[in-house]
Amino acid sequence: MSSQPETMPALAQRADASYLDFVEGFREYILGKGADFEDRLNEELLAEEQRRGKKWQELEEIRAHVHGLPLGRLRDRLARTQQEMKWHTLKRSFEVQRQSLTAQLAHWDTRGPGRLELDPRFVYPPYVNVHFHLQPTGYYKDELSGYLYHYGTKVFFRGDNDHDELHAKLVARVPAPADGRVECILDLACSIGQSSTAFKRRFPSAEVTGVDYSAPMLRVAHRRAAVLGDDVTFAQRLVEDTGYADGQFDITFAFIVFHELPLRIIHETAREAARVTRKGGIFAIYDFTGTRDKSPFQRYHRWFDARHNGEPYSQDFCDCNLENILAENGFKVTAAPVGQRSGGAGYMSNWFATRE
Amino acid sequence: MSDLQTPEGGTPLVGPDPVYLQDPVLDATVRMVVELAAQVWVERERRITLETVLESRGLLTRQQLEAFKPTSVQTAALKEERNRFIEDVFKELRRIPVRQS
Repeated sequence: MSSQPETMPALAQRADASYLDFVEGFREYILGKGADFEDRLNEELLAEEQRRGKKWQELEEIRAHVHGLPLGRLRDRLARTQQEMKWHTLKRSFEVQRQSLTAQLAHWDTRGPGRLELDPRFVYPPYVNVHFHLQPTGYYKDELSGYLYHYGTKVFFRGDNDHDELHAKLVARVPAPADGRVECILDLACSIGQSSTAFKRRFPSAEVTGVDYSAPMLRVAHRRAAVLGDDVTFAQRLVEDTGYADGQFDITFAFIVFHELPLRIIHETAREAARVTRKGGIFAIYDFTGTRDKSPFQRYHRWFDARHNGEPYSQDFCDCNLENILAENGFKVTAAPVGQRSGGAGYMSNWFATRE
Repeated sequence: MSDLQTPEGGTPLVGPDPVYLQDPVLDATVRMVVELAAQVWVERERRITLETVLESRGLLTRQQLEAFKPTSVQTAALKEERNRFIEDVFKELRRIPVRQS
């Protein structure tokens, strides 16, 4: 049981919580060992390799084989269905509370600790106009998007995000700069600020800033941090153009950000991170494992997730070589898979990069 | 199934009602089964909670539950709940296209 104040938005009724609890359990069942889809389908793909006498090359070959299997098609149906069920119920549950939830955000906008910096002249770039993970209206068009995201990711992470557990765990693993100096930290695309507050708790004397394009996310981030008593600044800025000074930050951080950026913006963001991270500072990234390190089924799942779960940029991200991109921008990089459960083993990696 | 392409390219996104099982009726059937399972769990969780609370306070016996007769107002409210339940489970029927594209 966590002792920190509750920041998860309340649902309209107990039945909604029960329903979403079912979806969380069902998601675990179909992604994990319950239905055992992944291992069984991957074994079939490996067996097919043996039968053909050659390794899978093109994604299209893998896709055609999975789609030829009733089990593969049913797995896709169920994966899509649980996501639709989650958003349907969440949207309905928050819709009936819209007035009170909106008032709650307004109440905290100007209260501390911490600060909310929204830019009234901010222009949303076209690439963000995506309903990522099928979230209704996406990340920024509904003022309740931050609340939808918070509860949505609780279900998504299946027990790792009831009280920010995953963020605390991943932030704890980030190496500090070799000289030990940590005075300024930047959390890129911070969404509702869970990593930002985890950094503030790990480095209480550091100035922590979270940036994101989504005003609704930032408002929830600020409220959440203020309720927790964490002094963090949340600012509406683009990850590829933060506007901060050269070398301002000792640690720059990006948690599951890059796979939601088009390739062009991935390059620009790496360049921007190199600019704002001081020499000897750390740029720490957690994101999807690259295609070359995936099993055949994981390659299939990446395509499925991209096309059927609102992740249009993720395939290009997994196909690119992030290590090279970081190196080209003046980082010395170590990369490794993250052995944690959410999303399944081998789905997430870390890149810890030192600015040279 | 229509494709949606972002202005920055990437993987084209599937449209709002993809068919996975080669027959939209099968897709709807699977969705309804999962929805039913969710609804059954919601009811079971509530019943267990309710019975536990009532029993712990000595407020209700099983015989009283069986003998319960709703008033007209209670009956109307139950019907409203029933309609919502039917809509939750069977809304999938509306998503079956008249013709398969």
